[in-house]
Amino acid sequence: MSLLEVKSLQKIYTTRFGGNQVQALSNVSFSVENGEYLAIMGESGSGKTTLLNILASLDKPTGGEVFLDGNNIVKIKDSEISAFRRDNLGFVFQDFNLLDTFSIQDNIFLPLVLSQKPYEEMNKRLKPLSKKLGIDEILPKYPYEISGGQKQRTAVARALITNPKLILADEPTGALDSKAAMNLLKIFSEINEAGQTILMVTHSIAAASHAKRVLFIKDGEIYNQIYRGSMNNDEMYQKISMTLTVLATGGVKGE
Amino acid sequence: MNKIFYPKLALTNLKKNADTYVPYILTCIGSIIAFYSMISFYGNKGLDEMPGSTNLKTILFLGTIVIGIFSTIFLFYTNSFLIKRRKKELGLYSILGMEKKHIARVLFYETVVVTIVSLTLGLLGGILIGKLLYLLLLKLLHFTTPIQFYIDGRGLLITAGIFLAIFFLTLLTNFLQVKMANPINLLRGGEQGEKEPKSSWIVTLFGIISLGIGYGIALTVKSPIDAILLFFVAVIFVIIGTYALFTSGSIALLKVLKKNKNFYYQSRNFISVSGMIYRMKQNAVGLANICILSTMVLVTISTTVSLYVGQENMMRDQYHFDMLIVGENTGNDEALVDESIQKTAEQTGVNSIDQINLRLGNLTAFLEGDHFMPDLVAKEDKDTNYYTTKTDVWLIPLEDYNKMSETPASLNENEVLIFSVGDNYNQKTMAFGDDRFSVKEELQTFPLSNKKTDLVGKTCYIIVKDEGVIADIQNNLYPDNNNKSLLFGKFFNLEGNDEAKLAFSESVFQQVEGINPDIDKASYYVSLTEWYSIFGGFLFLGVFLGTLFMMATVLIIYFKQISEGYEDRDRFEIMQKVGMDKTEVKKTIGKQILMVFFLPLAGATVHVAFAFRVMAKMLAAFRLTDTGLILICTIVVTLIYALIYALVYWWTAKAYYRLVK
Repeated sequence: MSLLEVKSLQKIYTTRFGGNQVQALSNVSFSVENGEYLAIMGESGSGKTTLLNILASLDKPTGGEVFLDGNNIVKIKDSEISAFRRDNLGFVFQDFNLLDTFSIQDNIFLPLVLSQKPYEEMNKRLKPLSKKLGIDEILPKYPYEISGGQKQRTAVARALITNPKLILADEPTGALDSKAAMNLLKIFSEINEAGQTILMVTHSIAAASHAKRVLFIKDGEIYNQIYRGSMNNDEMYQKISMTLTVLATGGVKGE
Repeated sequence: MNKIFYPKLALTNLKKNADTYVPYILTCIGSIIAFYSMISFYGNKGLDEMPGSTNLKTILFLGTIVIGIFSTIFLFYTNSFLIKRRKKELGLYSILGMEKKHIARVLFYETVVVTIVSLTLGLLGGILIGKLLYLLLLKLLHFTTPIQFYIDGRGLLITAGIFLAIFFLTLLTNFLQVKMANPINLLRGGEQGEKEPKSSWIVTLFGIISLGIGYGIALTVKSPIDAILLFFVAVIFVIIGTYALFTSGSIALLKVLKKNKNFYYQSRNFISVSGMIYRMKQNAVGLANICILSTMVLVTISTTVSLYVGQENMMRDQYHFDMLIVGENTGNDEALVDESIQKTAEQTGVNSIDQINLRLGNLTAFLEGDHFMPDLVAKEDKDTNYYTTKTDVWLIPLEDYNKMSETPASLNENEVLIFSVGDNYNQKTMAFGDDRFSVKEELQTFPLSNKKTDLVGKTCYIIVKDEGVIADIQNNLYPDNNNKSLLFGKFFNLEGNDEAKLAFSESVFQQVEGINPDIDKASYYVSLTEWYSIFGGFLFLGVFLGTLFMMATVLIIYFKQISEGYEDRDRFEIMQKVGMDKTEVKKTIGKQILMVFFLPLAGATVHVAFAFRVMAKMLAAFRLTDTGLILICTIVVTLIYALIYALVYWWTAKAYYRLVK
């Protein structure tokens, strides 16, 4: 069975006062296998973020179902949703979302503390992780004292420390310079190799070219997908570029 | 660019930021009203006629200083809050091509507008509200009090001067902020991560010591006179201690908690402790302000309410009998007085009961060891020191004493009985010049008086063998005084309704005045009405100032809630994304806010608890010695204040949650 299964997902936003309806997702179905590294690409407004928010259980779809490890996350009760998110999902955001009242170490500990893990265990998990991510030296520092790349690696550490089933990344390289971005993508590849399932939403070709599979979304629907197969990153980059060009020029329905 | 551009921009800015600037201007106006009212009360000549006006003036003067210092701190604090909020806006101007001097010009015009509006409304408000309150006071007391209300020109000038200086200084700090920042910094100013606050153990220690000294003074004060002087020394120490402990001590304490890993890494403590560290850094000064203000409100209102409520008992302690008339035995004065009492009693329907008539001698002396030294102080040299050290001596023949006492006594040659008001005489002998006496017994009860401390000077009643001894003593002490006849004294209670008693007292006073103006007369009911007006005045002052302080407190809390709201909005979102559910986040933040806001109230309560002794002593200076009553008044006032505080919190918390959502 797939780790994540998305079945004919639909999301319609209705403006609060008028009958104006905006269809963000019309019919999205796909599945993610254990250990996969999936990138979802699309223009601004294509529905990527809506999709991610639904997967993250931050938002509810108007139709369709999402199964994570066999559990329908659309049906989870509001009172349990936070605990579910904490235990099963790890998040990496474009703007890091670190709390400036906490040191780097405490930011990473946050989800564990919320699950009431003892300090010894938290510490045991942190040591190898921080070493791997190269942030062991900045643990006592505060978010405003470190660089963007370090902040994002901190966010990755925070996402990984709960041993989640799935990492959800929303434009993780969006706020980083190219060097820091490459560094982060390398880390993503490494943790994926170690068995971590990753789902990344991005419109950066460089970022997507590290994934094993790339899904393209346009106007709320899945338009195309590319498998890496035996391609290296550069070949993958070429292929994604070409697909995007087709998507942008010839991909209009009814023409 | 034409000249009108900058003032116009400044006005637009103020309108756009009305959310925060309206409360700021209100704060300024409030401070100015408070300061002007204080200083005009201080400069009020009418108050000089009030008994105890020196102490009152001292209190008002220190009150003026306290309000001045407070206004400065408070306005600086609100101003820095405002400018921090607006950094982004200023950064935008800078990016759009305004030079720093142009921004400075905009800031200048903004300050000019704020200054003009605040000073005009503040001073007008000070005059009007003051006048209004004055009228209210008169109505409240049904009397013309000595507090004459007038427009204090000097006070207006001083107030205007001081607040102009404060506004000028805030403008300078704003200039400095703009000058030091670059556009990018200005743009990011609002969201720049706060540095982790440093806790200084030295400052904390300093705060503890300072608070300790303040509390120490408060706990060891002995006499009421010391209490009034030292109270303000203690206040200064406590204020310093409060600021130091709120700013540094709180953070030091939280850091200790943070070091304890098993405590800190619990989900309920984790977010609270680190959140509190940051909240305390940003709020410490504001919270210290609230704490000190609350203490002032509590102390002022508790003491004045105690005075007002306790005055009947205070008067009762002083007036063992409802009326007393003491005069020289010349002519047929005594017979005329008796006649007048009887006649008036019939007219007003009041009975005089428990009447004691006796002969007695009176002199003032200074007691040194067991020697009563003659009082040779010239009339114009009689100062506070004179009145606090002299002893009033009443000499009563044994025969008269036995008439009024339930337990008749006998005396041998050169023996006396003594009843000393307040502390015991505690000596076996006494001497008036060459006349030496041995004290047969020190009485603990006495028909004419009670043991309650007499605060101004000392009073003692000495019972001697006969009238001859009294004449001897007077001759010995004051050989030049020819007027040594014995006095007649009449002590009696009244029976009837209160109005009739007052009418009786006033009528008898008038008639006695006609018989001989030198006759001393006192009536509990006449004094009570006089003192009602005075303590009513105190109560009015206390509640007036209390209300002002309270208004300032409300404003600070409002500002705090707004700034907390802006900052917590982002934090609130992140925590939800990381896996905290909504109710949990709301609960955690709610708890922190609650702690932050009720810390000052707790601090104020502790301050008041320590100040209680001094308060009681100070009230003793106004002859209020009933500690139980003061305690009840203080507790009731504190409870009511806590209730109002909670309401204000609840009301502003709504503004906070509106921002967070």
